[in-house]
Amino acid sequence: MSRATMNLTGARVVAPRLSHVSWLLLAVALAAGFGLPGVVASVLVLTLLTQAVIGGMLAVGVGFLIRQNGVVSFGHAAWYGVSAYCFGLLLRHEVLPAELALVLALAVPTLTAFLLGLVIVRVPGVAFSMLTLAVGQAFHEFSMKAQGLTNGDDGFAIPLPDTLFGLPIAAVQQPETMFVLCWSLLALVIFGLYVTVRSPFGRLTEAIRENEERARFIGYRTVLPRAATYAISAFVAALAGLLFALYNGFVSPEVLHWSLSGSALIMAVIGGSRLLWGPALGAVIFFFLKDLAGNLTEHWPAMIGVTVIVVTVLMPAGIAGTLAELAGRLLRRTGGRA
Amino acid sequence: MANALLIQVLNGLVYGGLLFIVSVGLVLIFGLRRVVNFAHGSLFMIGAYVGFSIATVAGFWAGVLGAAVVLAVAGVLLDVSVFRPLRRQDPIATVLVTFGLLLILEDLAHTVWGKDTHTLPLPEMLAGSVDILGQPFPAYRLMVIAVAAAVGVGLALWLRFSRVGLFVRASSIDPVTTAVQGVNTDRVSALVVAVGTGLAGLSGTIAAPLLALSPSMGGSILIESFIVVVVGGLGSFSGALIAALAIGQIHNLGIIYVPWAATMVPFLLMVAVLVWRPTGFAGSHV
Repeated sequence: MSRATMNLTGARVVAPRLSHVSWLLLAVALAAGFGLPGVVASVLVLTLLTQAVIGGMLAVGVGFLIRQNGVVSFGHAAWYGVSAYCFGLLLRHEVLPAELALVLALAVPTLTAFLLGLVIVRVPGVAFSMLTLAVGQAFHEFSMKAQGLTNGDDGFAIPLPDTLFGLPIAAVQQPETMFVLCWSLLALVIFGLYVTVRSPFGRLTEAIRENEERARFIGYRTVLPRAATYAISAFVAALAGLLFALYNGFVSPEVLHWSLSGSALIMAVIGGSRLLWGPALGAVIFFFLKDLAGNLTEHWPAMIGVTVIVVTVLMPAGIAGTLAELAGRLLRRTGGRA
Repeated sequence: MANALLIQVLNGLVYGGLLFIVSVGLVLIFGLRRVVNFAHGSLFMIGAYVGFSIATVAGFWAGVLGAAVVLAVAGVLLDVSVFRPLRRQDPIATVLVTFGLLLILEDLAHTVWGKDTHTLPLPEMLAGSVDILGQPFPAYRLMVIAVAAAVGVGLALWLRFSRVGLFVRASSIDPVTTAVQGVNTDRVSALVVAVGTGLAGLSGTIAAPLLALSPSMGGSILIESFIVVVVGGLGSFSGALIAALAIGQIHNLGIIYVPWAATMVPFLLMVAVLVWRPTGFAGSHV
């Protein structure tokens, strides 16, 4: 163990210091979150945005795993759902006060994912995707079968307390305030992931992603960093699941179903996972397209299927990646003239 | 008691046999193309519906044959339009594209056959039951076991003794060297993918009288066959056979003796095997 941690800290890659621009971007993102509910008058749009931001958080977790480990998870709903169930069950059976339940709802899925990660990250590429799908579905099956604990198929309403950390509970159930909370957390998560990616740990996982064998030859343990990356991405998914549970006050096996994992992956693919915020953009596009399609056609699944194929084949970097590339080209051109 | 157990073992063989026919299609495709077809379960589902439609007009056996042929043709199209163009890219691209296909195929089934579940009646000839050691056992289920055995033996002989079989085995060990030796892997691949998807169609129709037909039936069989393929070792024919039969038995005995945990047991088995051997029982060759 100590050798592994030594190797982690021993990765003396010179990580560039965070620029002022990144702090500025974080501040702008946070300010925009606080400002938006004032500008958007429609409660309907704000509700949709809140859902999109929660979905976006899950997608950011999936995208981070693709970016840092180079593997695709088809089962991230597991961590989203375990978090929501954990929170709900602890309150339902009156085991702990809500504040502690909140902490456990984040810790349990993250630790479980880390332990599971130690086993499954050793499985190469495509088989990893198949495995995550199967593992995710195992959690779903459990939530359906454990009637006594989870009330099975029907799910249950979470008995939320009147106040949470001294704030009235209504704050997390109304879109005006919940949107600001979710948005701020999303901005902080993306910023945190950005810091992680640029740290020695981030550089090491990228090296392992590019060539695990070589990283091992140089002397790094490769399983531990990959499992840690998996756990981080599970933590982000768990945070999304917790926000969902707070906002909806209800959990059912749907939050563990593989179609949710699939949707999150679709968001990450559409947005593009090379940039950390790509999956979040993908989520916003996904939710608004879904809303639009709902009014026009019944063939939403086929539409999204076609979109996934088109983006995968024609735009492997996703919409965010393509936008960033265009912006970069534009900057270089104007920069060249100046 | 012993007789009752025998019946349970036979029931496990029925399920294991079906799983084997579906999984072996995945194995063949992986062996040649090094990709996993996430739409495989949907092809099973479409096969069941196509078989159902043909069977209601022209009889059960025409349905089985028709579904296999239609899905084999679909397999050639899939190879030419998806696997071949994407072969130089990351296998993940193929996974995502076939995942997109999965969504499209489910929507297609919704549109063509509706949301209600259908049931394909048993063929009259096999509607009765057979006495096995004094216990009645449905004749149809025996037929399913026989078909699975026939598919297994047929494929084993084909892989072992035919020219194409030799190419398939060679390709599953090293596709590049095989191509260098002058084997047209693209043509072999179209054939092998067609066999794999044709088997998905066949098993879909055969399973139709035992399951309720619904557009979402592809999802659960996909996950179960993934477990089989991962446990058996990606691309391993014999590994898939052993894993499918084992999971068939475990699934069935689990339902009787530990009903609350039955669906979890295959997952636990999978994790256990992977802790022990990350590449599955049999490594990764056909």
